[in-house]
Amino acid sequence: MEENKRPILQFAPFQSAVDEGFWHRLSSLKLNELGIDDSPIPVSGFFAPCSHYQVSNHLTLISESLPSEESSSSTTSHGNRNRCPVPGMLYNTNTLEAYRGLDKEALLKAESKKIWDDIHSGRAVEDSTLLSRFFLISYADLKKWSFHYWFAFPALVLEPAATLNYIQPASQYFSSKEAESLSAACNDWRKSTVTADVPFFLVYVKSDSSVSVRLLKDWDLCQDDCQQLLFGFYDPCHLPNNPGWPLRNFLCLIAVHWKINNIRFLCYRENRGFADLGLCLVGEAVITVPEAWKDHGFIPATVGWESIKGKKGARCISLAKTMDPRRLAVSAA
Amino acid sequence: MVLSQKIHDAFKGTVERMTNPRTVSAFKEKGVLSVSEFIIAGDNLVSKCPTWSWESGEPSKRKPYLPAEKQFLITRNVPCLRRAASVEEEYEAAGGEVLLDNEDNDGWLATHGKPRETKLDENERLPSIENLDVSTKSGIQSIPSYFGRDEEEDIPDMAEFDDPSNLIETDPATLQSTYLVAHEPDDDNILRTRTYDISITYDKYYQTPRVWLTGYDESRMLLKPELVLEDVSQDHARKTVTIEDHPHLPGKHASVHPCRHGAVMKKIIDVLMSRGVEPEVDKYLFLFLKFVASVIPTIEYDYTMDFDLGSSSN
Repeated sequence: MEENKRPILQFAPFQSAVDEGFWHRLSSLKLNELGIDDSPIPVSGFFAPCSHYQVSNHLTLISESLPSEESSSSTTSHGNRNRCPVPGMLYNTNTLEAYRGLDKEALLKAESKKIWDDIHSGRAVEDSTLLSRFFLISYADLKKWSFHYWFAFPALVLEPAATLNYIQPASQYFSSKEAESLSAACNDWRKSTVTADVPFFLVYVKSDSSVSVRLLKDWDLCQDDCQQLLFGFYDPCHLPNNPGWPLRNFLCLIAVHWKINNIRFLCYRENRGFADLGLCLVGEAVITVPEAWKDHGFIPATVGWESIKGKKGARCISLAKTMDPRRLAVSAA
Repeated sequence: MVLSQKIHDAFKGTVERMTNPRTVSAFKEKGVLSVSEFIIAGDNLVSKCPTWSWESGEPSKRKPYLPAEKQFLITRNVPCLRRAASVEEEYEAAGGEVLLDNEDNDGWLATHGKPRETKLDENERLPSIENLDVSTKSGIQSIPSYFGRDEEEDIPDMAEFDDPSNLIETDPATLQSTYLVAHEPDDDNILRTRTYDISITYDKYYQTPRVWLTGYDESRMLLKPELVLEDVSQDHARKTVTIEDHPHLPGKHASVHPCRHGAVMKKIIDVLMSRGVEPEVDKYLFLFLKFVASVIPTIEYDYTMDFDLGSSSN
């Protein structure tokens, strides 16, 4: 296809979902430990590949996303396939004014610089969870038990934007033998506690139609007899024609680290917890690495503030019903 | 809170503190589970239906008789594309029988008829349960005062937009869809996709699993528990589903009250045995979730049945 005819590759934005428990734990952290200390708090978000053809998965924050209060029994179960960790940062302010006054652009830049550095240093190849980061700004009004917050999922912006050669269901792309082997390999990957929560991986299709799934850092080990290489990632998105957000930074890593410009990718999705190649997508992105990117000091433009119903804007949730001791006392009377 | 319920809760709490958890199996005799049987059944559910996983919940709420990393089961982000209440209205409008009665009294698997083709999912079957009288004489009354008594204006919106921003990100590679749920009806007055976190805890007093629901609206904001009732079969919404403290998570959640679970499970097990199917305890949660599906018919959680139920109408 001619360059100017190819459509721009468009990514479905990540979406946040915050469990009530997160706000409960934040409140007690704030009251019992942090006080007026408003330094950024490292948090973990969790996501999983899309597991239903009608809804996307979200980045979820639960009470275990925050550092636990008693440092004693932290049973963060590793290898939980339904909770792939995403590193994040919480900027919680003490006043509404401070919250509204935060320099959103600078924060977004600072977070994307971390991603950019990890791509350049190759750390993102060693630990692929570093490719998807997020952060949120918040103000917890503990007098009214209301929480103002806004998420961002920083993504490096390619200029010009990546274009798309094709995108189609994986079941159409692969031969039936390859598809069978790929499903089995992915299900094994998701079953093993070592790899279950590793969201980016390599897919090798050999000449005998057998398929294997490997860690990014095993790149060098499996180059022989590789007929086809695809870059796979856990896709939280369910849409039939668009990949989800995590592919954005992954494409940047592939272009910078392995210097590949025509990138075949696999959007890995599941149905009821098992690989579903009818939902999985295979596409080929064409990218041109901007000249400026060769300079490590340069930081690409970034986007990623979450929109709700198509509008940029923060959210507010009131939990007075379940947190205000006075109301609880009234409702228990 | 209704007084009888408070007394019952206090009584239940005392009994739970003073009695040892069940260790002898009474699965076939009473339809109940011992703690170790709950773990066995939970392990089997997690391995067959991997969208479910074990979690440990709040450290302060941990039950000593359950392993720390296997306190309860949870599946998150389960779609619910229609309101159970409105589905039942559809049936009535179409003159359909909501409940199928089965003469020989064993039709617990009977499903709704399908009076009108819905545009959402052709294969969808709505489970129901008919002659199992789960609701009467339980002493558990309708929704307590959690949301009930306040004046309307006193209820703050749980979710609202705050501070719309003039922040504009111009980026041709961001998909500008309003929100990412499929099959959005173009008609604005139709209720949209919700999602649920469903958890299963072990109820030591009743010695059965217990189901809890946490709902989110289409923009992924927490649903008030009273709105959750729209996704509960109307036979159960004001009777067996109550809003209570979750045993492992913060906050109030909707729950199917377990007072009759043992009896219902016993009945299901008896039906199976009368058909020559020997029920195994590790399948308990599949049977249980099948039964729960009759209470929350439009919430599409996974309870794949991979075993023979005899000659049932499945």
